[in-house]
Amino acid sequence: MLAIETEGLTRLFDGRPAVEDLALHVPAGAFYGFLGPNGAGKSTTIKMLTGLLAPTHGRARVLGVDLARDPLSVKARIGVVPDGLSLFERLSGAEQLRIHGQLYGLERREAGRRADELLAALELEADGGKLVSEYSHGMKKKLALGCALIHGPSLLFLDEPFEGIDAIAVSGIRRMLQDLVASGAMTIFLTSHVLEVVERLVTHVGIIRAGRLAAEGRLEEVRGGSTLEEVFIRTVGEERPPQALSWLGEGPRAP
Amino acid sequence: MTALAALRAFSELRLLLLWRRLKGRGGVAELVSKVLLFAIAIPAGAAFAGATAFSAFHAVRAGQGIRATAPVAGLFFGVWMTWTAVALSLSEREGLDLRRFLGYPIPPGRISGYGLAASVIGDPFAVFWCLLLGGAFGGAALARPGAWLLPLALVYAGFTLATVALVALVQELLARLVRGRRGRVLGIVLVYVAVGAAVSWVAGTGRSLLEVVRAIRALRWIAYPAALADSATAALYAGGTLRGVAWLAGLLAAALLTAVAAHRLALAAALSGGGGASRTAATGGAGWRLPGRLGGLVEKEGKYLLRHPLAAVLALLLPAVAAVVMWRLAPRLAEEGGEVVAALPIFGFALYAHLAVQVFWLNALGWERGGARTWFLAPVSLAEVLLAKNLVTYLFSLALFAASAAAGVALGGAPPAWALGGALLVHLGAAPWLLAAGNFVSILNPTAAPLTVQRGGNVTALSGLAGMAAISGAGGLFAVPALIAIRVEAPWVLVAGSALLAALGGIAYAALLPRAGALLAARREAVLAAITGDEA
Repeated sequence: MLAIETEGLTRLFDGRPAVEDLALHVPAGAFYGFLGPNGAGKSTTIKMLTGLLAPTHGRARVLGVDLARDPLSVKARIGVVPDGLSLFERLSGAEQLRIHGQLYGLERREAGRRADELLAALELEADGGKLVSEYSHGMKKKLALGCALIHGPSLLFLDEPFEGIDAIAVSGIRRMLQDLVASGAMTIFLTSHVLEVVERLVTHVGIIRAGRLAAEGRLEEVRGGSTLEEVFIRTVGEERPPQALSWLGEGPRAP
Repeated sequence: MTALAALRAFSELRLLLLWRRLKGRGGVAELVSKVLLFAIAIPAGAAFAGATAFSAFHAVRAGQGIRATAPVAGLFFGVWMTWTAVALSLSEREGLDLRRFLGYPIPPGRISGYGLAASVIGDPFAVFWCLLLGGAFGGAALARPGAWLLPLALVYAGFTLATVALVALVQELLARLVRGRRGRVLGIVLVYVAVGAAVSWVAGTGRSLLEVVRAIRALRWIAYPAALADSATAALYAGGTLRGVAWLAGLLAAALLTAVAAHRLALAAALSGGGGASRTAATGGAGWRLPGRLGGLVEKEGKYLLRHPLAAVLALLLPAVAAVVMWRLAPRLAEEGGEVVAALPIFGFALYAHLAVQVFWLNALGWERGGARTWFLAPVSLAEVLLAKNLVTYLFSLALFAASAAAGVALGGAPPAWALGGALLVHLGAAPWLLAAGNFVSILNPTAAPLTVQRGGNVTALSGLAGMAAISGAGGLFAVPALIAIRVEAPWVLVAGSALLAALGGIAYAALLPRAGALLAARREAVLAAITGDEA
């Protein structure tokens, strides 16, 4: 069974394609890494699959449901950590988690219990009473992950979950995600630039380039005998030489 | 960086940002609205400037006595009162956020100075009041040309500077007061305890507090720029140039001190990081005990609104504005009109309580930033999201109305029961009309709003104009039964008419809410682009 299946999925901005004719096949229970250079269309794809953006053409089936036909039932069964996060900065961490749970249909008491468990699991217990606006970027990422998990989704979308957070936090989140997939509890669809982390995590991989799917399959099939980084650079383009900046080293101008 | 280079860079930055906004979605409508606001303010200001010129001309000719002093005091105290009340509670004035510019090699004092100048030039209300002052100066110049006009011009300039600096200082003081949760709660509690004590005292003595307050002449110094400018101008009109210049020196010194104090507070706040560091619910079980999805939505909206510094500022300010209105207006209404006319201020408070919170219903999604994505990711009905926002805004506005009415009663005595009930009905009845209109404005023209006590940038010029239209429309609608009631001297007409309009509003709101939800779903990309910065 497929957790995500798209057919001819296309999104145009001002007539230009950001994503074009995308045909994704993400098996249920997979840990799927969706890779691509900046501006390739990764975030646009996640936004279309989670209902933040409407596709210009094409179809998407998520957990067996046509997204265009019944978006609410899909939303109830997925968890999302979008690019830029979706946190209310003037709520405390504990309030954010509990109210998020209530929005996903949990009873208040149950949402509160799960919020406390998540705060402990994400090592945010001591900061549960702080406003989200006072959280560091890494803490916000962890909190957003907690929000995505509180209702027990079958499919988790993570857009750049490791961007801007320290190695210890990355390690903690990675272990948690691995445990979730290993227990068969959910499918994870993740985008990331950190190829070493992705290589250690995922079971399946898709590489997008200029809005089109350039490669897809099990990690071993796509990688062949190379590392994921080598395959990625080969697929999306060559390494570029660094450009020197003429004025650096001249010192600041006198005021 | 020289002062001129910095000013040029600022001007270029503002022009570029304006140009980008105009080129973007809805830019032309935004420009038209901005021009329209000034197009309303300037002719209106010019028309009233004719009146102030006329009275100043005669006051200068009179030189001394009540015919000379009354127009001067009326102009300065009137302009001061409306300027500070509107700037603090309503006006979406232009301004500069000091925090954004701290990284640049520009003296912060200069940025504060540009901010004060922008708050006069960029605000149609401020332009209106400046035109009134300009009219008075023109009238005085025509009446008696001469060198004395130079200190007179400085009095008007000093009064303008002192008033904008005072507004900035009060904003900074209020921001400091409301930054800490304890300070905020304490401040609000103190105000309301004082109002409560005043009400009980009035009830005990049978004497209106207004009578007592009006007898205390020293209270005029609360309006210090107006009182100083009034004394300086009266002396200059009477030919006492030396005395006038002495008052002018006092005014300029006070204006400068106020501006420096406002700048120091703004700088300290900017360097401390600005935001409020209140600790709040630390566990999942804590917080408001509202069950279900709608409960969660209402709790989120309630906490968001109450944690906005503007909410605390309004809670402190509106009763004070109501008290000042009763102080100046109520005795005249009681003398000149009948029972219905005397009760009109309380009906005005009912509409003003909606007007004061207009930023929360005209740009209901503007403070959510990244959180706005939740509405489109979570399995929630968007109509329910809007309903929760509307409910919370209504309850907050109702609390403000109750506080303003209490302050009015404390100062001016209790109006008849029918007036209190009728005003409550007007407040309730206007809400569905305004909130339904606000939902559509919020969805069609959202903007990312700052979480600061300064009001600039909370709504766009177009939304501001739409708000004016909505408030005028609602005011016009509810004025019909009021006018009939005054005409036939039958208060029950006002109450019955308001009840009928409230019922019609409820029906219209129920019909429009699902449409607003559907519109929000259809416009999600544009809304997220405006609020979160997501490219659509």
